Amino acid sequence: MTAALSADPPMPLLRMQGVSKRFDNVVALSGVALEVRRGEVHAICGENGAGKSTLMKILSGVYTPDEGEICIDGAPVRIAGLQQAQALGIVMIHQELNLVPHLSVAENIWLGREPRRGWFVDRERQREGARACLRRLGVDVDPDAQVSTLSIAQQQMVEIAKALSMQARLLIMDEPTSSLGEADATRMLRVVQDLKREGVGILYISHRLDELDHIVDRVTVLRDGRYIATLDWKRTSIAEIVGLMVGRELNQQFPPATRQPGAQLLLKVRGLQRDGVFGPVDFELRRGEILGFAGLVGAGRTEVARAIFGADPLDAGRIELDGQALDIRSPRDAIAAGIAYVSEDRKAHGLAVKMSVAHNITLANLGVLSSRLGFIDAARERETAETYIRRLGIRTPSPEQVARLLSGGNQQKIVIAKWLFRQARIILFDEPTRGIDVGARYAIYELMDQLAATGIGIIMISSDLPEIMGLTDRVAVFRQGQLAAMLETRHCSQQHVMHHASVGPAEPSEPPRVALATLS
Amino acid sequence: MNDRQKDLIQKFAALAGLLLLVIVFSLTSSAFFSVGNAMTVSLQVTSIVYLGIGATFVILTGGIDLSVGSVLALSGVVAGMLVKGGMPVAPAFVLGIGVGALCGAVNGLCVTRLKLPPFIATLGMMLVARGVALQLTDARAISGLGEAFGTLGNGALWRIEEIDAQGFPDVVFPGIPYPVLLMVALAIVATLLLRRTTLGRHIHAVGSNGEAARLSGVDVNRVTMFAYVTSGALAGLAGCVLMSRLVTAQPNEGVMYELDAIAAAVIGGTSLIGGVGTISGTLIGAFVIGVLRNGLNMNGVSSFTQQIIIGGVILVTVWIDQLRNRR
Repeated sequence: MTAALSADPPMPLLRMQGVSKRFDNVVALSGVALEVRRGEVHAICGENGAGKSTLMKILSGVYTPDEGEICIDGAPVRIAGLQQAQALGIVMIHQELNLVPHLSVAENIWLGREPRRGWFVDRERQREGARACLRRLGVDVDPDAQVSTLSIAQQQMVEIAKALSMQARLLIMDEPTSSLGEADATRMLRVVQDLKREGVGILYISHRLDELDHIVDRVTVLRDGRYIATLDWKRTSIAEIVGLMVGRELNQQFPPATRQPGAQLLLKVRGLQRDGVFGPVDFELRRGEILGFAGLVGAGRTEVARAIFGADPLDAGRIELDGQALDIRSPRDAIAAGIAYVSEDRKAHGLAVKMSVAHNITLANLGVLSSRLGFIDAARERETAETYIRRLGIRTPSPEQVARLLSGGNQQKIVIAKWLFRQARIILFDEPTRGIDVGARYAIYELMDQLAATGIGIIMISSDLPEIMGLTDRVAVFRQGQLAAMLETRHCSQQHVMHHASVGPAEPSEPPRVALATLS
Repeated sequence: MNDRQKDLIQKFAALAGLLLLVIVFSLTSSAFFSVGNAMTVSLQVTSIVYLGIGATFVILTGGIDLSVGSVLALSGVVAGMLVKGGMPVAPAFVLGIGVGALCGAVNGLCVTRLKLPPFIATLGMMLVARGVALQLTDARAISGLGEAFGTLGNGALWRIEEIDAQGFPDVVFPGIPYPVLLMVALAIVATLLLRRTTLGRHIHAVGSNGEAARLSGVDVNRVTMFAYVTSGALAGLAGCVLMSRLVTAQPNEGVMYELDAIAAAVIGGTSLIGGVGTISGTLIGAFVIGVLRNGLNMNGVSSFTQQIIIGGVILVTVWIDQLRNRR
């Protein structure tokens, strides 16, 4: 390299300047700048609504900007449409995977760009091309396997393989690890590092700031559609980034515990079992306690919770509430007993998205608001909804607002309000902060602590280890459908939990290499 | 703009369309705008409304009921046969409606227990019910059912007649036909049920997100059953009223009526995905179809052309609805 070249900063792969985008009268982006170098992993941080996805959609050709300049290799370009973005080597991997479940891996990778021989698809070339891309990623997936039979992690790898087959030079990854367990997330990050070494520029969006630590070179922070700062990862801290994202100093990620777990047993579970899925599982939950369910994805945590709630059938086991045996055959039985479930996927299982905020809050307990003939007292319903909207700080223009239009954090609060109104005594939270931005997370944590302080027993399933460590009193660690360990949170570390979840009991002095979330 | 306002605009658009039709037909045909013709249209629309209310319930839960046209025929035929066999008219009609409810219950069981897609379950019932109706009657109409059989369909409340100088009766006011009264009553009851009761709320919840409803403790199967049984019973009622109007039991009656019912609901803003829809909308939708048919008839437009126009109206209304909901 000559002296002149090394003195100048290298020409960036991508440079955006003064990019603005307006929808009707809402400014989604205003004057945003961004620069990605070859072989750089560049994270975009910002709360929901900060403009991250608008920015990504502009880059991938879904939206055209109102103002601003985009340069690739220093040459200004116009990106109109996905095809054009792909021609420039910009490929986006969406949070919701965009694969066709009933086609094979190879067919998905080449979808829309099938290699042909005459009028027909050249299946051999298709398969070989797919195999080559998968090999480059170091993943062991059969190109002929139907995508619907693959795990989420494998599907994500197929998405990346597809991006590679398009000769991606700039890869945009939106929350790539949000649906992965720790082990798969680790592999995923390793792939990112490999791509980086090959000179691919990577734009990385993630809510899990801690996982950025191992891979990210620089971070650009957006807030309310505006560019805030670009920081060198090595010279910044999570606290500083979070502070820039929310516009205020966030000293601690978790609220101080105000609850006092009692000695009184609330829930006692014995020999809970579902053949081939989990069990037998034994554990207890005390009044006012937050019990964490940790483990890798697929370890059976969600399945145990759903079985307790009656959402899935049970083959054996005994569930006692306050010393009384319960016969739970459906969610109705569980709800009647005072058990509530806040599901992982709000839009699929938790909310009636087309119904109003008020109607969602009262849905599980309409009987209380109705006359004997089943007529709902509209005034009391409104009053109830307003009470809970105020109490939980749900940000909505009115109780009549359709639930779909609210942010993730507010939707989560609606689901919690529903169960509070139902006077739940035990609430099972499944990944309560998934897809919820950092500022709103704190509010959810605070709420969970307050609920526990009123004597409610809480079980929290989480794949986010810092969350488990920061919030729970005890941790139940699951591994392959079994309860691997029951730990006092105070007396253990993330390494302990991770080790139980992935390998089994061992010397805590020998922290497992898989643990990615160990530093935070 | 919140959804309530959107809903109002949607309804207003349909209503404005209906008024526009009325104005246009009033200008093109002198006989159109009269009390007598208004009653005729209302009477013609009643069957669509009975079935449309049932369709709205079913579609709100995210289902579809293709069997109502055939169930209508079976119920009417059963009522007619019972009367022919010597049973008084009132209990015969009740049993006819019962047959409809039973068909609805079978549909509901197929959907909730056998987990058949609603389209398939009710398609099966459509063929079975029609076949049974034809089998029972040997495909022949049953006539000679007596005057009492025709009262429900042809009677009217507050009919005023005067005897003129020549001694002939002169109709001052045609009265409000019983089927129209029944339609109004049903629409009010159905509206109250959907908007004000727990059951109505649960119907919306099941259609909006069935799994979320189940996990909120809603008895999804019971709610779904209710929708199909109601649809079947209303089809039975429509059958009895229709056969009573004709004073004959016709096993071939009601072919394709299910499509009118679904069209009425859809024109009125009911979403085929479920969770969204109102009875007032369906009522407007039914009148759009009824006024179109009546007005086009009066203008001498052939029934084939009518079909083309109504098909076009359905496509355009739903397209406008899609435009509004996009973004």
